Amino acid sequence: MVENPPDGNQHVIPYLTYADAPAAVEFLCSAFGFESGLQMPMGEGVLGHAELRMGGHVLMLSSAFPEMGHASPQDLTAVHAQVMVYVDDVDAHHAQAAAAGATITQEPEDQFYGDRTYRAVDPEGHHWTFAQHVRDVPDEELEAATAEMGG
Amino acid sequence: MADQPVQNPPPHMQRIVPSLAYDDAPAAIEFLCRAFGFEESMRMPMPDGQIGHAELVLHGNTLMLASSFREAVGIGGPSELPFLHSSVSVYVDDVDAHYARAAAEGATILEPLTDQFWGDRTYRAEDPEGQRWMFQQHIRDVSPDEMRAAIESME
Repeated sequence: MVENPPDGNQHVIPYLTYADAPAAVEFLCSAFGFESGLQMPMGEGVLGHAELRMGGHVLMLSSAFPEMGHASPQDLTAVHAQVMVYVDDVDAHHAQAAAAGATITQEPEDQFYGDRTYRAVDPEGHHWTFAQHVRDVPDEELEAATAEMGG
Repeated sequence: MADQPVQNPPPHMQRIVPSLAYDDAPAAIEFLCRAFGFEESMRMPMPDGQIGHAELVLHGNTLMLASSFREAVGIGGPSELPFLHSSVSVYVDDVDAHYARAAAEGATILEPLTDQFWGDRTYRAEDPEGQRWMFQQHIRDVSPDEMRAAIESME
């Protein structure tokens, strides 16, 4: 019997496209604290596939292959998806990301649903939310908060 | 109560969670559940019928989605984009059965079921708004040597 998913991967995994994938790997490790894993280089400066790990889970990325319909967000007018990452200490994470040159689009703040989050954009324009779950919020409180926003 | 440590990530949340935008988020939720087997676990509707945030679960993992908010946050469904900058990769228990269901429910199949050299059996699909998906089942462990040889033979 093989293990499915393999390597302790989670079941649902974001897969991102970068124009300069090797530079993205370096940035995501130094700024966002990922660890570099499997890489499938396809010639100079091109990654057919790469895996970055955090807390045992995986993020996948590759170079842009226009023939496959892929492009970096830097070549698009808007983004159609983003990635949320749970980290152990979101304030320390924010400090590291900001120091490493991530564009911070929302400073760390406590959200009504019990996460403390900040938002950032990486050098090629992928949008990220980093979160730490700091408080369990009772259902009634969540419902009241949501109703207030909707009302 | 307040002194008890909380679980981070919270239950049913993997560390790394994709979040997708859709112009018609309620229709997307319905499709992703019917065609891809997700189950809706939470939805925050807004007064105008938009979805501020929703979560779907598959195999204990979460997918987040929301309505398009192009002006407010620069995020919208892919319908107006010539290329996509990301996709979602999902490990399922029986990829053949998953493929049959998705195709029958109207997913656009971009690449049929294929045994890949890295040991996964995969297919690629597009949902009605054009978000792209790869579904896969790990069916064979491949040794590093075999993997290396396969990659070298591609170059």
